[in-house]
Amino acid sequence: MHIMEGFLPAGWCLLWWLVALPFVIRGILDLRAMIRKDREYLPLLGVCGAFIFILSALKLPSVTGSCSHPTGTGLSTMCFGVFITSVVGGVVLLFQALLLAHGGLSTLGANMVSMAIGGPVAGYAVYRLLKNTPLNIYLTVFLVTTVADLVTYIITSFELALAYPAGNGGVITSFVAFFIIFAVTQIPLAIVEGCVLALVFKYIIRMKPEIIEKIGVFSSEQIEKARLAEESGSSAGVRS
Amino acid sequence: MTGIRSYTLEIITLLAVLAFIVLFLAVSSGGTRNFSGSDDAGTRKIAELTGRPVESYQPLIPQYVPPSSEIESTLFALQASFGGLVLGLVFGYWLGQRKQAPAP
Repeated sequence: MHIMEGFLPAGWCLLWWLVALPFVIRGILDLRAMIRKDREYLPLLGVCGAFIFILSALKLPSVTGSCSHPTGTGLSTMCFGVFITSVVGGVVLLFQALLLAHGGLSTLGANMVSMAIGGPVAGYAVYRLLKNTPLNIYLTVFLVTTVADLVTYIITSFELALAYPAGNGGVITSFVAFFIIFAVTQIPLAIVEGCVLALVFKYIIRMKPEIIEKIGVFSSEQIEKARLAEESGSSAGVRS
Repeated sequence: MTGIRSYTLEIITLLAVLAFIVLFLAVSSGGTRNFSGSDDAGTRKIAELTGRPVESYQPLIPQYVPPSSEIESTLFALQASFGGLVLGLVFGYWLGQRKQAPAP
Protein backbone atom coordinates (compact mmCIF):
# COMPACT_ATOMS: atom_id res chain seq x y z
CA MET A 1 0.00 0.00 0.00
CA HIS A 2 2.98 2.32 -0.02
CA ILE A 3 2.75 5.14 -2.46
CA MET A 4 6.33 5.49 -3.61
CA GLU A 5 8.30 8.69 -3.18
CA GLY A 6 7.72 11.00 -6.13
CA PHE A 7 4.59 9.24 -7.32
CA LEU A 8 2.16 11.64 -5.71
CA PRO A 9 1.92 15.28 -6.86
CA ALA A 10 3.07 17.79 -4.23
CA GLY A 11 -0.45 19.19 -3.67
CA TRP A 12 -1.84 15.78 -2.75
CA CYS A 13 1.17 15.05 -0.52
CA LEU A 14 0.47 18.23 1.40
CA LEU A 15 -3.25 17.53 1.69
CA TRP A 16 -2.74 14.01 3.10
CA TRP A 17 -0.07 15.27 5.48
CA LEU A 18 -2.56 17.86 6.75
CA VAL A 19 -5.18 15.14 7.23
CA ALA A 20 -2.72 12.87 9.05
CA LEU A 21 -1.09 15.38 11.39
CA PRO A 22 -4.01 16.00 13.79
CA PHE A 23 -4.36 12.23 14.34
CA VAL A 24 -0.66 11.78 15.03
CA ILE A 25 -0.47 14.82 17.34
CA ARG A 26 -3.50 13.68 19.31
CA GLY A 27 -1.98 10.19 19.40
CA ILE A 28 1.31 11.46 20.84
CA LEU A 29 -0.59 13.42 23.50
CA ASP A 30 -2.74 10.37 24.36
CA LEU A 31 0.36 8.21 24.54
CA ARG A 32 2.13 10.63 26.90
CA ALA A 33 -0.94 10.88 29.11
CA MET A 34 -1.26 7.10 29.24
CA ILE A 35 2.40 6.56 30.13
CA ARG A 36 2.22 9.21 32.89
CA LYS A 37 -0.98 7.79 34.34
CA ASP A 38 -0.47 4.08 34.27
CA ARG A 39 2.49 2.12 32.97
CA GLU A 40 0.54 -1.10 33.32
CA TYR A 41 -0.64 -0.89 29.71
CA LEU A 42 2.84 -0.57 28.21
CA PRO A 43 3.40 -4.34 27.75
CA LEU A 44 0.06 -4.59 25.91
CA LEU A 45 1.07 -1.64 23.72
CA GLY A 46 4.31 -3.50 23.07
CA VAL A 47 2.43 -6.58 21.87
CA CYS A 48 0.08 -4.55 19.64
CA GLY A 49 2.96 -2.51 18.22
CA ALA A 50 5.08 -5.62 17.73
CA PHE A 51 2.45 -7.09 15.44
CA ILE A 52 2.38 -3.97 13.29
CA PHE A 53 6.17 -4.24 12.99
CA ILE A 54 6.17 -7.96 12.21
CA LEU A 55 3.19 -8.16 9.86
CA SER A 56 4.02 -5.06 7.83
CA ALA A 57 7.49 -6.50 7.16
CA LEU A 58 6.07 -9.70 5.66
CA LYS A 59 5.43 -9.41 1.98
CA LEU A 60 3.21 -12.29 1.07
CA PRO A 61 2.23 -13.64 -2.34
CA SER A 62 -1.38 -13.45 -3.40
CA VAL A 63 -3.81 -14.71 -5.99
CA THR A 64 -3.20 -11.80 -8.35
CA GLY A 65 0.42 -12.86 -8.81
CA SER A 66 1.89 -9.99 -6.87
CA CYS A 67 2.99 -9.60 -3.26
CA SER A 68 1.66 -7.40 -0.53
CA HIS A 69 1.91 -7.10 3.21
CA PRO A 70 -0.66 -7.28 6.01
CA THR A 71 -0.94 -4.23 8.29
CA GLY A 72 -1.50 -5.65 11.79
CA THR A 73 -3.20 -2.50 13.02
CA GLY A 74 -6.48 -4.08 14.19
CA LEU A 75 -5.25 -5.30 17.57
CA SER A 76 -3.83 -1.91 18.55
CA THR A 77 -6.99 -0.17 17.34
CA MET A 78 -9.19 -2.27 19.62
CA CYS A 79 -6.95 -1.89 22.66
CA PHE A 80 -5.75 1.69 22.30
CA GLY A 81 -7.99 3.38 19.74
CA VAL A 82 -7.26 5.13 16.47
CA PHE A 83 -4.99 7.94 17.69
CA ILE A 84 -2.33 5.88 19.47
CA THR A 85 -2.43 3.36 16.62
CA SER A 86 -1.72 6.17 14.16
CA VAL A 87 1.50 6.95 16.05
CA VAL A 88 2.67 3.31 16.13
CA GLY A 89 1.77 2.80 12.46
CA GLY A 90 3.45 6.11 11.63
CA VAL A 91 6.71 4.94 13.24
CA VAL A 92 6.72 1.79 11.08
CA LEU A 93 5.98 3.79 7.93
CA LEU A 94 8.71 6.31 8.81
CA PHE A 95 11.22 3.48 9.23
CA GLN A 96 10.24 2.06 5.84
CA ALA A 97 10.39 5.48 4.18
CA LEU A 98 13.80 6.36 5.61
CA LEU A 99 15.63 3.05 5.27
CA LEU A 100 13.76 0.89 2.77
CA ALA A 101 12.57 3.35 0.13
CA HIS A 102 9.09 1.88 0.62
CA GLY A 103 7.09 5.05 0.52
CA GLY A 104 8.85 8.33 1.12
CA LEU A 105 8.71 11.42 3.28
CA SER A 106 6.52 13.32 0.82
CA THR A 107 4.05 10.44 0.54
CA LEU A 108 4.25 9.56 4.25
CA GLY A 109 1.12 11.60 4.95
CA ALA A 110 -0.89 9.66 2.37
CA ASN A 111 0.52 6.34 3.57
CA MET A 112 -0.29 7.19 7.18
CA VAL A 113 -3.84 8.14 6.19
CA SER A 114 -4.33 4.71 4.60
CA MET A 115 -2.47 2.33 6.95
CA ALA A 116 -2.14 4.13 10.28
CA ILE A 117 -5.42 6.07 10.29
CA GLY A 118 -8.01 5.01 7.69
CA GLY A 119 -7.72 1.25 8.26
CA PRO A 120 -7.85 1.70 12.05
CA VAL A 121 -10.87 4.06 11.79
CA ALA A 122 -12.78 1.42 9.81
CA GLY A 123 -11.65 -1.31 12.22
CA TYR A 124 -12.73 0.80 15.17
CA ALA A 125 -16.15 1.32 13.61
CA VAL A 126 -16.56 -2.45 13.27
CA TYR A 127 -15.39 -2.91 16.87
CA ARG A 128 -17.89 -0.38 18.24
CA LEU A 129 -20.65 -1.97 16.20
CA LEU A 130 -19.94 -5.49 17.48
CA LYS A 131 -18.61 -4.74 20.97
CA ASN A 132 -21.91 -5.08 22.80
CA THR A 133 -23.36 -7.90 20.74
CA PRO A 134 -23.31 -11.55 21.86
CA LEU A 135 -20.92 -12.35 19.00
CA ASN A 136 -17.93 -14.43 20.07
CA ILE A 137 -15.13 -11.98 20.90
CA TYR A 138 -12.58 -13.79 18.73
CA LEU A 139 -14.89 -13.39 15.76
CA THR A 140 -15.06 -9.68 16.56
CA VAL A 141 -11.24 -9.51 16.62
CA PHE A 142 -11.12 -11.34 13.29
CA LEU A 143 -13.58 -8.94 11.66
CA VAL A 144 -11.91 -5.82 13.09
CA THR A 145 -8.42 -6.79 11.89
CA THR A 146 -9.59 -8.03 8.50
CA VAL A 147 -11.54 -4.84 7.85
CA ALA A 148 -8.66 -2.61 9.06
CA ASP A 149 -6.31 -4.43 6.68
CA LEU A 150 -8.61 -4.33 3.64
CA VAL A 151 -9.75 -0.75 4.09
CA THR A 152 -6.10 0.36 4.21
CA TYR A 153 -5.69 -0.83 0.65
CA ILE A 154 -9.03 0.57 -0.48
CA ILE A 155 -7.92 3.99 0.78
CA THR A 156 -4.59 3.71 -1.04
CA SER A 157 -6.54 2.96 -4.23
CA PHE A 158 -8.74 5.97 -3.55
CA GLU A 159 -5.76 8.28 -2.93
CA LEU A 160 -4.13 7.23 -6.19
CA ALA A 161 -7.41 7.46 -8.13
CA LEU A 162 -7.94 11.04 -6.92
CA ALA A 163 -4.42 12.02 -7.96
CA TYR A 164 -4.54 10.13 -11.25
CA PRO A 165 -8.06 10.09 -12.69
CA ALA A 166 -8.21 8.12 -15.92
CA GLY A 167 -8.51 10.20 -19.10
CA ASN A 168 -11.51 8.11 -20.02
CA GLY A 169 -13.86 7.51 -17.09
CA GLY A 170 -12.13 9.68 -14.49
CA VAL A 171 -11.65 8.87 -10.83
CA ILE A 172 -13.97 5.85 -10.79
CA THR A 173 -12.23 4.00 -13.64
CA SER A 174 -8.92 4.77 -12.02
CA PHE A 175 -10.17 3.62 -8.62
CA VAL A 176 -11.30 0.29 -10.04
CA ALA A 177 -7.88 -0.22 -11.66
CA PHE A 178 -6.00 0.49 -8.42
CA PHE A 179 -8.58 -1.45 -6.39
CA ILE A 180 -7.84 -4.56 -8.46
CA ILE A 181 -4.11 -4.13 -7.95
CA PHE A 182 -4.19 -3.39 -4.22
CA ALA A 183 -7.42 -4.50 -2.60
CA VAL A 184 -8.05 -7.74 -4.49
CA THR A 185 -4.47 -8.84 -3.79
CA GLN A 186 -5.14 -8.07 -0.16
CA ILE A 187 -8.29 -10.18 0.40
CA PRO A 188 -6.58 -13.53 1.21
CA LEU A 189 -3.89 -11.76 3.24
CA ALA A 190 -6.49 -9.90 5.27
CA ILE A 191 -8.32 -13.13 6.08
CA VAL A 192 -5.14 -14.87 7.25
CA GLU A 193 -4.19 -11.80 9.28
CA GLY A 194 -7.62 -11.81 10.93
CA CYS A 195 -7.23 -15.46 11.94
CA VAL A 196 -3.71 -14.97 13.29
CA LEU A 197 -4.58 -11.89 15.33
CA ALA A 198 -7.72 -13.55 16.72
CA LEU A 199 -5.48 -16.40 17.86
CA VAL A 200 -3.01 -13.95 19.40
CA PHE A 201 -5.89 -12.29 21.20
CA LYS A 202 -6.86 -15.66 22.62
CA TYR A 203 -3.36 -16.07 24.07
CA ILE A 204 -3.40 -12.54 25.50
CA ILE A 205 -6.68 -13.38 27.21
CA ARG A 206 -5.32 -16.66 28.48
CA MET A 207 -2.30 -14.95 30.02
CA LYS A 208 -3.61 -11.55 30.99
CA PRO A 209 -7.44 -11.38 30.95
CA GLU A 210 -7.47 -8.63 33.58
CA ILE A 211 -5.63 -6.15 31.36
CA ILE A 212 -8.10 -6.58 28.48
CA GLU A 213 -10.91 -6.10 30.95
CA LYS A 214 -9.31 -3.08 32.64
CA ILE A 215 -8.55 -1.26 29.42
CA GLY A 216 -12.17 -1.89 28.46
CA VAL A 217 -11.83 -3.79 25.18
CA PHE A 218 -14.42 -6.33 26.30
CA SER A 219 -16.44 -6.76 29.48
CA SER A 220 -15.50 -9.34 32.09
CA GLU A 221 -18.63 -11.33 31.17
CA GLN A 222 -17.57 -11.53 27.52
CA ILE A 223 -14.04 -12.59 28.48
CA GLU A 224 -15.35 -15.16 30.95
CA LYS A 225 -17.72 -16.54 28.33
CA ALA A 226 -14.89 -16.91 25.81
CA ARG A 227 -12.69 -18.61 28.42
CA LEU A 228 -15.46 -21.00 29.39
CA ALA A 229 -16.12 -21.81 25.75
CA GLU A 230 -12.46 -22.53 25.34
CA GLU A 231 -12.21 -24.76 28.39
CA SER A 232 -15.35 -26.76 27.82
CA GLY A 233 -14.35 -27.40 24.23
CA SER A 234 -17.42 -25.87 22.67
CA SER A 235 -17.45 -24.13 19.32
CA ALA A 236 -15.74 -20.79 18.75
CA GLY A 237 -18.46 -19.76 16.33
CA VAL A 238 -21.38 -17.41 16.79
CA ARG A 239 -23.33 -18.00 19.98
CA SER A 240 -26.78 -16.70 20.56
CA MET B 1 -6.83 -24.78 33.71
CA THR B 2 -7.91 -28.38 33.90
CA GLY B 3 -10.79 -28.67 31.45
CA ILE B 4 -10.39 -29.91 27.90
CA ARG B 5 -9.21 -26.97 25.85
CA SER B 6 -10.82 -26.15 22.58
CA TYR B 7 -8.41 -25.70 19.73
CA THR B 8 -11.06 -24.47 17.30
CA LEU B 9 -9.28 -21.18 16.72
CA GLU B 10 -5.92 -22.88 16.20
CA ILE B 11 -7.46 -25.26 13.68
CA ILE B 12 -9.23 -22.47 11.79
CA THR B 13 -5.99 -20.48 11.62
CA LEU B 14 -4.02 -23.50 10.46
CA LEU B 15 -6.61 -24.21 7.75
CA ALA B 16 -6.53 -20.57 6.62
CA VAL B 17 -2.73 -20.65 6.37
CA LEU B 18 -2.85 -23.98 4.51
CA ALA B 19 -5.47 -22.66 2.08
CA PHE B 20 -3.25 -19.64 1.57
CA ILE B 21 -0.25 -21.83 0.74
CA VAL B 22 -2.28 -24.05 -1.61
CA LEU B 23 -3.61 -20.94 -3.34
CA PHE B 24 -0.06 -19.65 -3.75
CA LEU B 25 1.15 -22.96 -5.18
CA ALA B 26 -1.77 -23.06 -7.60
CA VAL B 27 -1.20 -19.50 -8.79
CA SER B 28 2.57 -19.83 -9.02
CA SER B 29 2.56 -23.20 -10.80
CA GLY B 30 1.95 -21.54 -14.18
CA GLY B 31 5.28 -19.78 -13.88
CA THR B 32 3.87 -16.70 -15.57
CA ARG B 33 3.57 -14.57 -12.42
CA ASN B 34 6.63 -12.85 -11.07
CA PHE B 35 5.21 -11.99 -7.61
CA SER B 36 6.63 -8.51 -7.57
CA GLY B 37 5.23 -6.08 -5.03
CA SER B 38 1.77 -4.64 -5.49
CA ASP B 39 3.40 -1.27 -4.80
CA ASP B 40 5.35 -1.70 -8.03
CA ALA B 41 2.22 -2.81 -9.88
CA GLY B 42 0.54 0.38 -8.63
CA THR B 43 3.50 2.42 -9.80
CA ARG B 44 3.28 0.88 -13.27
CA LYS B 45 -0.44 1.65 -13.33
CA ILE B 46 0.31 5.31 -12.56
CA ALA B 47 2.76 5.37 -15.47
CA GLU B 48 0.13 3.79 -17.70
CA LEU B 49 -2.57 6.28 -16.67
CA THR B 50 -0.38 9.35 -17.12
CA GLY B 51 1.51 8.08 -20.15
CA ARG B 52 4.78 9.00 -18.45
CA PRO B 53 7.44 6.29 -18.01
CA VAL B 54 8.10 5.08 -14.44
CA GLU B 55 11.69 6.40 -14.61
CA SER B 56 10.47 9.96 -15.17
CA TYR B 57 9.11 10.16 -11.63
CA GLN B 58 11.75 11.70 -9.43
CA PRO B 59 11.57 11.82 -5.61
CA LEU B 60 10.19 15.10 -4.27
CA ILE B 61 12.31 14.63 -1.17
CA PRO B 62 15.66 12.85 -1.69
CA GLN B 63 15.73 9.46 0.00
CA TYR B 64 18.02 6.56 0.76
CA VAL B 65 17.45 3.56 -1.48
CA PRO B 66 18.88 0.18 -0.43
CA PRO B 67 21.51 -0.64 -3.06
CA SER B 68 20.35 -4.25 -3.47
CA SER B 69 17.43 -6.51 -2.63
CA GLU B 70 19.73 -8.33 -0.17
CA ILE B 71 20.20 -5.20 1.89
CA GLU B 72 16.51 -4.45 1.62
CA SER B 73 15.60 -7.91 2.91
CA THR B 74 18.03 -7.49 5.81
CA LEU B 75 16.32 -4.28 6.85
CA PHE B 76 12.89 -5.91 6.58
CA ALA B 77 14.14 -8.85 8.65
CA LEU B 78 15.45 -6.36 11.20
CA GLN B 79 12.02 -4.73 11.39
CA ALA B 80 10.28 -8.08 11.90
CA SER B 81 12.84 -9.32 14.42
CA PHE B 82 12.44 -6.15 16.47
CA GLY B 83 8.72 -6.88 16.64
CA GLY B 84 9.40 -10.50 17.53
CA LEU B 85 11.79 -9.45 20.28
CA VAL B 86 9.25 -7.17 21.94
CA LEU B 87 6.54 -9.81 21.57
CA GLY B 88 8.64 -12.53 23.18
CA LEU B 89 9.70 -10.18 25.95
CA VAL B 90 6.13 -9.25 26.91
CA PHE B 91 4.68 -12.75 26.62
CA GLY B 92 7.57 -14.07 28.71
CA TYR B 93 7.00 -11.33 31.27
CA TRP B 94 3.30 -12.18 31.51
CA LEU B 95 3.96 -15.91 31.77
CA GLY B 96 6.47 -15.23 34.53
CA GLN B 97 3.90 -13.15 36.40
CA ARG B 98 1.37 -15.96 36.14
CA LYS B 99 3.85 -18.47 37.52
CA GLN B 100 4.49 -16.23 40.52
CA ALA B 101 0.82 -15.67 41.26
CA PRO B 102 -1.41 -18.29 39.62
CA ALA B 103 -4.75 -17.00 38.39
CA PRO B 104 -7.60 -17.65 40.85
